[in-house]
Amino acid sequence: MLLAAYPETREDASSVVSGLRFVMRHTPIRSCAPVVGRLHRLRKIVANAARIGHDSHLLQQHRGTIPGGAPQSTAGRAIIMTQRYYDSAQIRKPLISEVRNLWVHRDVVRLIAQRDVTARYKRTVLGIWWTLLNPLLMTLVLWIIFGNFFRFETPGVPFVVYLLSGILMVTYWSQTVLAAGTAVVGNANILSKVYIPPEVFSVGAAMAAFVNFVIALLPLLVIQLITGIGVPWSVILAPIVIFFILAFATGLGLVVASAAVFFYDVIDFTAVLIQMASYLTPTFYPLTIVPEQFLWLIYINPLYSQLTVFRAVMYGGYWEWWHVGYGSLSAIAMLVLGAWLFSRSRDRLVIML
Amino acid sequence: MSSELLIDATHVGLEYRLSKSSYGTLKEFAISALKRQVKYDSLWALKDVSLQVRRGHVQGIIGPNGGGKSTLLKILARVIPPTKGRVIVRGDVAPMIELGAGFNGDLTGFENIVMYGALLGRDVDYMKKSAPGIAEWAGVADFLNVPLRSYSSGMLARLGFAVATDTTPDVLIIDEVLSVGDESFQAQSLDRMLELIESGTAVVFVSHDLSAMRRIATEVMWLDNGSIVTVGDPHEICTAYEDSVESSEI
Repeated sequence: MLLAAYPETREDASSVVSGLRFVMRHTPIRSCAPVVGRLHRLRKIVANAARIGHDSHLLQQHRGTIPGGAPQSTAGRAIIMTQRYYDSAQIRKPLISEVRNLWVHRDVVRLIAQRDVTARYKRTVLGIWWTLLNPLLMTLVLWIIFGNFFRFETPGVPFVVYLLSGILMVTYWSQTVLAAGTAVVGNANILSKVYIPPEVFSVGAAMAAFVNFVIALLPLLVIQLITGIGVPWSVILAPIVIFFILAFATGLGLVVASAAVFFYDVIDFTAVLIQMASYLTPTFYPLTIVPEQFLWLIYINPLYSQLTVFRAVMYGGYWEWWHVGYGSLSAIAMLVLGAWLFSRSRDRLVIML
Repeated sequence: MSSELLIDATHVGLEYRLSKSSYGTLKEFAISALKRQVKYDSLWALKDVSLQVRRGHVQGIIGPNGGGKSTLLKILARVIPPTKGRVIVRGDVAPMIELGAGFNGDLTGFENIVMYGALLGRDVDYMKKSAPGIAEWAGVADFLNVPLRSYSSGMLARLGFAVATDTTPDVLIIDEVLSVGDESFQAQSLDRMLELIESGTAVVFVSHDLSAMRRIATEVMWLDNGSIVTVGDPHEICTAYEDSVESSEI
């Protein structure tokens, strides 16, 4: 409540400072823990106030208040977002510490996502359009082969819509698995020189894939309009479905990243695994051509359930409740499993780099 | 509070475990893992090293290659957790294990400044505001919107140093980075370092430049083979080290 008001003026800021001084003076040390977190914010707020009012005397005042605050000539201190105390003996709580790390380093996560979206195609002429072009070209070829040579038929939906929705999903799913799985190995040069929690890279990559995926929905929607199947209202649910799909992918990627500590082969194997999983997902073939004794192979694949739900929200394709349940539960389970394994092995990971 | 203890490392050891390559197949490995007989070649890169650095003090570290200097810096910089012992570091840490770790050649100078700053834990809005000043200091102001791959290695070193020391960190960890770049860069960066020390930054730095070591270090540690040989007065230890190097050359 002390920091509820964001000081715009020098007077506001100095009242915050004196309020804090009061708290520090009258609070027993052992109950200071919740205050310490707020100190970081206070530092930022005071620096902002100083930036607004160029009030260096105020900064001086606030330095005197905070225990351990060093005299210094710039407002530098206030812009450090990370933890200011490192104790190697501190025991990390698995999962919780990962979530906290991500929050502390949220700026980096955002920058990495931005970089992944824009820098990947920076040296190309078409730039970000490659995001759209890739799946479209793939769809064109598969449409010629399976729509015209093999004459696959998908009742109730134009084959090209069925195909593109499947390709989109599998493309971004596999990109995310690979990106999360190689986030540690691929950023070895950074991780071995600067302290930064490796999960930042995995999640940054997943966020980039999310953005790319949402952008890539545009051509699908256009094609749905052209072919006459239309765009149902349920499309607005697509980001939620995509979130679950990519959560599943990120979880699997983290499992890969942890396993790669012991066997580097796992990363090569992942490429094969991704291909197997995508062939066992009905992206370019209708489920009706699958012989009954093999159907279970597809049913146990969480990707099938997730794709079914994705198609349902995109163009109103057939779905049942178990698809929703299995698709989302498997995604959450995979994410938790991946994060837990990763959390346990990541110290070893960095040493091995 | 001029003698506040910023780095407190006690009996630090680091073990690298190299799993033996004799497990030809996954099956063999799985069997021995189940029997809990997985064997590792254990390599202690650091053995029982203790180190205290106070505010405004400069800890120099010397020793031959492979002596454990960089490993110690990485442990202090939080990059690697120690296998044994305990490390406590208070305050903001600016690690310069390698200048510009994380620079991306495809991004512009500006974008890299922001990214590198964020990797060091700094606020992105702040980095965006201070990027022009940083580029100015590094002498690359005219190249701020040019992709980094067209920078010279000297420019990269300057830029990396400028970002890392832009704020006034409590702890500065430097690994050999001052030996890159020309003389004017070395002078400029040394000036900046002295400025930081003046304002209370604790510095740990590794260098083979013994004259710089004598000039700025408050205390020097000689590491060899992962253990401390001696710690103490910069002049004495540097001279002893020089003598040992000379005698081993003969």
